[in-house]
This record gives sequence, C-alpha cells and structure tokens, in this order.
Amino acid sequence: MRELLRWLFNISGKELDRATEVLSKDTAKQRLKLVLIQDRLELAPEKLEEMKKEIWEVVSKYMVVDDDFMEFEVRRLDDLTVLVSNIEVKDLSDLTPEPAI
Amino acid sequence: MTGRTIVITSGKGGVGKTTATANIGTGLAMRGHRVVVVDTDIGLRNLDVIMGLENRIVYDLVNVIEGTCKLNQAMISDKHDYELFLIPAAQTRDKNSIEPEQLREMCAELEKEFDYVLIDCPAGIEQGFKNATAAAQEAIIVTTPEVSAIRDADRVIGLLESSGLHRPKLIINRIAADMVKRGDMMDQKDVESLLAVEVIGLVPADEHTVVAANRGIPVVHNAKSSAGGAFLRIAARVDGEDIPLMDMEPKTGLFSKFKGMVGMSGRAYSHA
Repeated sequence: MRELLRWLFNISGKELDRATEVLSKDTAKQRLKLVLIQDRLELAPEKLEEMKKEIWEVVSKYMVVDDDFMEFEVRRLDDLTVLVSNIEVKDLSDLTPEPAI
Repeated sequence: MTGRTIVITSGKGGVGKTTATANIGTGLAMRGHRVVVVDTDIGLRNLDVIMGLENRIVYDLVNVIEGTCKLNQAMISDKHDYELFLIPAAQTRDKNSIEPEQLREMCAELEKEFDYVLIDCPAGIEQGFKNATAAAQEAIIVTTPEVSAIRDADRVIGLLESSGLHRPKLIINRIAADMVKRGDMMDQKDVESLLAVEVIGLVPADEHTVVAANRGIPVVHNAKSSAGGAFLRIAARVDGEDIPLMDMEPKTGLFSKFKGMVGMSGRAYSHA
C-alpha cells in the first residue's frame, strides 16, 4: 500500500511519513486537554473515579446508560467554571418501578 | 492621579515574565506615561539586569517595606529620557520577608504618582506569587506554546480567578513561525482554545531579545525587530488602543512584506 502510494504520488518515503504522521502540536493539544481537566478539578484521581461511579449509579437508576462511556470536562466561561459530563444513553425508557398500590 | 497596577505572572519559570515586564514598562513609558516596574522576585532578582540598571542599586523593595529607606530612595531612574523607574527586589532575603498587605499598601502609594505600576511576579504559586498578585487589579499571564508552560498558565488563571483577579490577559511568547507552519508548535488559536482567555500579544522567538538582554537594553528600543515591535503593540493594547493581533508568519515573509510596504509608500510619495 505504501509502495503504491509512493508510486502514485511520486513522493519520497520521508514525505509520506510526514504526511501520515499526527502533527506533534495536535498530540500536545490532546494531552493538554486531558491534563487540564484533571488540574482544574483539583480532585484526586481516585475521588474523581468515585464521583463518576456515583453519578453513573444515580443516572442508571432511571435510564439505561453505557457503562464505559462517561466523560468529564471542566469548562471555563467568562466568570464561572462549569463541570460538564457526557453519558451515553442506550435506552431512554423509564426504569423506575410502578408504585405499588 | 490613580494609576493601574498590573501583575505579570506565569506559574512556570523561564517563559519571559521579566522580559515582558521590562518591555511593556518601557513601551508604556515611551508612550509618554509615568511608569514604575517593581521586581518582587526576592532572592532571584533579574529585572535590574534586563533593564541594565544593576549598577545603580542602593536600596531595594524589602528596605522600603521595612522602612529603612523612603519609597523614592529605592526608585532607580531608567537610563533613557522617559519617566520610567525600577524598584529592585532584595537579593539576600527570602520571599517571606514581605506580606501581601505590605506590598498592596506600597503599590497604592505608587498609584498616586504613576500611571502604571507593573509587578514582575516570581515563578511558582507560593508566597511570592501571593504577594505579587495581592497588590494588583489586573493580570497579564505570559506563556510559551509548550505543554508545561500552558499547563502552569492554566493553573495560575484558576488561582487568580479564585482570588478575585478576573479576566487576565495572555501573552504567547517565543512563537517560532516556521515550527507553527509545519505543525510542530501550537498557534494562537490552539492556545486560546485551551486556556479560554483573551490574547493581548504574540511575541515571536527573536534573536534580538537575547542580544537586548546581553546589553541590558530592552528589545522595544529596537522597534524594527519583530519582538520589539510585538512588545510595542502590547504596550499600546495595555494602554487601551485597539490594534489587531498580527498573524505569525515566517520571518522572511514578514520582512519582505515590510519591505514591500516601505517600497509602496516610497512610490506613492514620489507620485505625490
């Protein structure tokens, strides 16, 4: 495949490496994004995991949610800082049991 | 007269706080303002050497705070014809020799006499940082387009927020245009999206800055150098002028553009 690409576009191996490589600035950005979330929370990693688990447990009482996909992000707006959490919902149907009469 | 006290801070060391303080201070003085720059990096002072005033120091910041000299005795006049003064840090003391409240009082005193009081903050987030930030109403954060500097800048932004210094401005220092171009260095947009603060200046990596430090003459004195020009524009923005940020282009590009502009105006002149 590489050889074919090289032949087709008549470019050297080095140029091809360069073109298919992830830009180092994008790696930097991606890594920073994750580090800043952690830093801004000022919460120990195990505390963060604990909070994640608890929030997940609460939400999963009411709807079917993915057990893997849960994101946290701390966003800084003009004068306030907000915690944004994304949880993937598998099924929105109400799971709460009908009240017994 | 009530001046503005602005702290220049970064978290990480070696990103250019002192250089920025010297150049913005000089730039503001060149614009006709009365300016005093205060080095609060007690034990590791450097603003004096960057400004070329190291041989004139008699009294320092701690002397003023402790009352061993008067405020104006510790103010060293800049070599040039501007209203620019330096209050140097003490070199043989430590950061705990002063309290935030004492520095705040001193700056309040200076604000009566000066248009701008710029505080050069030490690296770190300990006592020295607390002293320096307590005295200011505004903050400028210096960073470079590197992961470590940006991470520390973010931390400092958070700390400033919680101590009531809202909306700090950001200077991105030492931008290497050729690296940005090939995707090996974060650009203004990248840094802005991570830190979510307003950028007030983009300073290119420029050999002139090193030469300026060698000579003890801030690079703004060389308005034709790319870093000098950038710092002059930052001073103007601090002063309230609305100057758009320049795109960082490779040095040759910028230079030829500049030459083109000069050439064009020359032609226009000959036609007139």
